[in-house]
Amino acid sequence: MAVAAAAKIAEVRETTRVERIGAHSHIRGLGLDDSLEARHVSQGMVGQVSARRAVGIVLQMVRDGRIAGRAVLLAGQPGTGKTAIATALAAALGYDTPFTSMAGSEIYSLEMSKTEALTQAIRKSIGVRIKEESEIIEGEVVEVQIERPATGVGTKVGKLILKTTDMETVYDLGGKMIDSILKEKVQSGDVITIDKATGKITRLGRSFARARDYDATGQQTRFVQCPEGELQKRREVVHTVTLHEIDVINSRTHGFLALFSGDTGEIKPEVREQINGKVAEWREEGKAEIIPGVLFIDEVHMLDIECFSFLNRALENEMAPIVIMATNRGITKIRGTNYKSPHGIPLDLLDRTIIVPTTPYDEKELKEILSIRCEEEDCQMSDNALTVLTRISKETSLRYGMQLIMTSSLIARKRKAHEVDVEDIKRAYQLFFDEGRSVQFLKEYQQEFMFNEMEGEDKMDVN
Amino acid sequence: MSVDWFSQLQKARKKCIVQNNLKRIHFELDDNREMVEEYDLNTNVVTRRAWRINRQLKGENSWEIEIGDPEPSYDSDNKYIIRENSNQPFITRRNTRINLEWRIRNLPYPIEVYSVLVDKELSALIVQTTNKKYYKKIIVPDLQRLCIELEQENVSFSHRFNTLIITYKKPRRLIDFEKALLEEIKKIKPEDSEEILKNCKIS
Repeated sequence: MAVAAAAKIAEVRETTRVERIGAHSHIRGLGLDDSLEARHVSQGMVGQVSARRAVGIVLQMVRDGRIAGRAVLLAGQPGTGKTAIATALAAALGYDTPFTSMAGSEIYSLEMSKTEALTQAIRKSIGVRIKEESEIIEGEVVEVQIERPATGVGTKVGKLILKTTDMETVYDLGGKMIDSILKEKVQSGDVITIDKATGKITRLGRSFARARDYDATGQQTRFVQCPEGELQKRREVVHTVTLHEIDVINSRTHGFLALFSGDTGEIKPEVREQINGKVAEWREEGKAEIIPGVLFIDEVHMLDIECFSFLNRALENEMAPIVIMATNRGITKIRGTNYKSPHGIPLDLLDRTIIVPTTPYDEKELKEILSIRCEEEDCQMSDNALTVLTRISKETSLRYGMQLIMTSSLIARKRKAHEVDVEDIKRAYQLFFDEGRSVQFLKEYQQEFMFNEMEGEDKMDVN
Repeated sequence: MSVDWFSQLQKARKKCIVQNNLKRIHFELDDNREMVEEYDLNTNVVTRRAWRINRQLKGENSWEIEIGDPEPSYDSDNKYIIRENSNQPFITRRNTRINLEWRIRNLPYPIEVYSVLVDKELSALIVQTTNKKYYKKIIVPDLQRLCIELEQENVSFSHRFNTLIITYKKPRRLIDFEKALLEEIKKIKPEDSEEILKNCKIS
């Protein structure tokens, strides 16, 4: 039953999602078959067969949940799909398994120390599945009344009338509840459940009795029966929280309100220790289950030597998640030292990791990726144009090629064409420089720019 | 829990204080559950019974009132998320020597509307109204703990001053059990309540 309820929630969430297209939004999974063999083109993933297969095995390891604290390093040139593979892994894990994605430079903050940020990231990646009995209100909305005071200031007053086939009750709404009712656009005729302790609203559908209210209803409208019996019910719900969330709830100084404001500050080690003990206790009693997740650190070379040695230690904890790191560096300085090391990562940490290399795409794969992106960005492209775009991507970079899809499609739309043609690609190519041509341009017109006296000696130091 | 409620209570760790003609007994059961009973010393009837609920995630523990009036809550105006409107029906329980009683206040409808039926499958009393305005499933923990089935002939109800009063005649076995428990309780030596208050840490 819990599974069905979860599916229901996911469905409701789907319809209200705001769709924006990101760099990796075409990825829906790792594209592996049942024997974890990578299909060449599947679920938005193209090529990189051996890397995907390797990550598929890591996925199996995470799903089994028995191995703690392993590290995987995705190493490869820029634009070879490292982040894509990590995104795919997150998608394949499903929403119940915690997946934390962070960039290496995120840990540098004035509000908390580096190790605190890392600890929080690690604890965000460990889920605890707890069964808890909670009180819910389930019924059909008869009426929602929300009144603002006439002066415009002051608290809003809200009332909600709910009914089942057997009874009807008037509820007073608190300020937070009013906001979420407005946000969810709850209206009379909806069948909803409200978690009494947290105020979380779940819309189950519209009541059959209201099926004839409108001639036209949206495709997603689901009709359900009006519930029976009492409005208020006790139900055992299974929910997954991360260790970090439990930490925050139990850290006295902030309380659970900090979860919403996002300002959690540093959490005392005693609190963490206490919670580890408690969770272990629940686990023994069979009340809770630990779901080790994945921590993904992109641009891991941005961590410094202290963080690396901290990670070394943290990985040995039995509560540690699987850590996946990605870097595009070769042999370079470890941040915070003058020593050079492969990938900018100290050798002792490298020794603990399994390294998955990604390799540059060949032309056929590039073409495949570009056509997937075209589909994702809702853009029709002629075969010739796609070939030209592939060539451009091959010579410049895949990222630049992907940028040209949207720009050239806008150019094509300007001339009222249905399809992007070679002309449009050419136009976009002229309008927007890639990195190579930009450098070329700078070299030619160096004299006319400001501060041009600096002659090439001071190379940018990203470390 | 139905195994043998009486011996469970016998084995429980008990503490007791007497205050203003009220005797409070704190039971700590083997499975870590906690219960408090309050007896009126004149009538020897339980006036309040409450269970401690341990929340798993959040630290705050609260009491669930089984018999008697609910704890008054202060400053609840600002904190609540959602709650029943104050003129909605609410139910309280009280025991007398021979009856179990429920009062449902704020029910303005005439007496003909109500029906109180025993549902043996759910082992609960079902309160219904023909106008579909109120419905309540009442579970009777006293009888459940002793594995006594509900009988329709023990139920009666009346309606006065916007209040529906449901009475359930105590079965013989429950009366015997309560008598035995009372004897058990009389054996516990009450602690000095003044002394306890002095040692109590004020947080």
